[in-house]
Amino acid sequence: MASGDLQAVKRRIRSVTSMEHITNAMKLVSAAKLRRAKTSFEKSNQYLHFITDSIAEIFNNAGEVPEKYLEGGREIHNTCYIVVSSSRGLCGSFNSNIIKLAETEMQGDENSVLLTIGTRGRDYFAKRGCTILKDFTTPPENMTFLDSQEMSTPIIEMFDKGEIDKVVLIYTSYLSQIEQAAVKVQLLPFEANLDPEVMKQNKEVEYEPSVGDVFNYLVPKYMETMLYGAIIESATCEHAARRMAMENATDNAREMLGDLSLYYNRARQAAITNELIEVVSGSEALS
Amino acid sequence: MAKMAQNLVSVEVITPEKLFYKGDVELVICRTLTGDEGFMAGHQWATKLLDIGELRIKEEDKDEYLMAAIAGGFVDVKDSIVIYTDAAEWPEDIDANRAQIAKERAEKWLADNPEEEEVEMRKREAALRRAVSRLTIRESGMKGGKTI
Repeated sequence: MASGDLQAVKRRIRSVTSMEHITNAMKLVSAAKLRRAKTSFEKSNQYLHFITDSIAEIFNNAGEVPEKYLEGGREIHNTCYIVVSSSRGLCGSFNSNIIKLAETEMQGDENSVLLTIGTRGRDYFAKRGCTILKDFTTPPENMTFLDSQEMSTPIIEMFDKGEIDKVVLIYTSYLSQIEQAAVKVQLLPFEANLDPEVMKQNKEVEYEPSVGDVFNYLVPKYMETMLYGAIIESATCEHAARRMAMENATDNAREMLGDLSLYYNRARQAAITNELIEVVSGSEALS
Repeated sequence: MAKMAQNLVSVEVITPEKLFYKGDVELVICRTLTGDEGFMAGHQWATKLLDIGELRIKEEDKDEYLMAAIAGGFVDVKDSIVIYTDAAEWPEDIDANRAQIAKERAEKWLADNPEEEEVEMRKREAALRRAVSRLTIRESGMKGGKTI
C-alpha cells in the first residue's frame, strides 16, 4: 500500500475528528437550551388551559355570545395559516415535518394566506409563490408575549373585517425528548366545546361590563395565548430535534472514526509487512 | 383573632409566563372597568374584565395588603378566584427608571402626534397608563403597603 493513501486516510481521520467535536459541542449547547426552553414551556403550559376553559365556560353559560367568532357563523372563503417553523437549520426533520403538514392542509385551498414564524417556513412558501401576509424571523426562543400579541392583532382585525374567515395554527407539539409531532389547531372560528363536563353549570354568572364585551376580550386573548404557547412549544421541539440530530451526527462520526482508524492501522501494518518482506528477500538474495 | 378558615378563598394570579401568586386569602381587590371591586369567599360567580391598575391582596391575619401592578386582564370568580393578566409585578420588582422612561416616551408621542389613528392612539395611551400605574404602585408599595 502506498504511503500517499495512508496520508489521505490520516487527513480524513483528522477532519472527521474535528467535525465530531463540532457536532458534540452543538449537541451540548442544544441540550442546555432545551432544558431552559422546557422549563418555560412547562410553566406556561400549566396555566394556559385556564383561559381556554374560561372561554368554553362562558360560551356554554351565556346565551348571547357574538356569533362571528363561532363555528358556522359565516361561510369560509379565505383561510389564514399560521406556520411556526425555525430560523435555523441542522435540526433533523423538524422543519420538513411542519412544511409537509402545512402543504397537506393547504392543498386545494387557493385563497389561503400565510403568516410565518421563523425563516425556514417563510423561505419555502415564498419560493412556491404563496401569499405571505407577514413573517416574523426572531428566533422563537426569544419571543415574548408581546410579540405574540403583535402577531395576532392584525389577524383578528382581518377576521373582523371579513378578509379571512378561518385561522389555523400549525406548529410542532412536544411529546417527549425524542418525539415531536406536527399538529394543527383551528383558532377561529372558535369550535364550540360541547363537553358535558363544562356544560353543567347552573349557577348564575355575573359578567361585567357585558357578556359580549367579555367574550370580545377573551377571543383575541385566547388567540394570543395559544400562539404564545405554540411558539414556546415549537422552540422546545426545535432544541429537542436539534439535540437528537446532533447526537446522531456525533454517533455517526464516532463510528466512522472507528472504521477509518481500523483501516489506517491495517494499511500501516501492511506497509510495514511489505517493507519487511522486501528486506528479508533482499538479504536472502545476497546470501 | 380566631382563625376562620371557612372565610378564606383561594386566589391564583396567572400571567402568560408564570404563576404569579397563589394562596388562600381573605380579600382580593382589583380594578375592574367600572372601579375597584373586592372579592371574598362566597362571592357570586362572575367574570369581569380588569383595567390597568393595582391589585391588592389581604392574606389571613395580616394587617397590610400585598400590592401588585397588573396590566389589565380578567378575573374569574367561582369557588376559587383566578386572575388572568398579561403582566404582573410586585412593587419591589418594578423598575422605576424604565417606567419613568416609558411614561415620558408615551407622553411625548401623544403630544407630538395628536391626530394619529385611533388604534395607535389607544395603544400609546395604554402604555402611558401602565407606566403611571407602575410608578404609583411602586411608590406606595415601597412604603410598606397600605394598612387597613
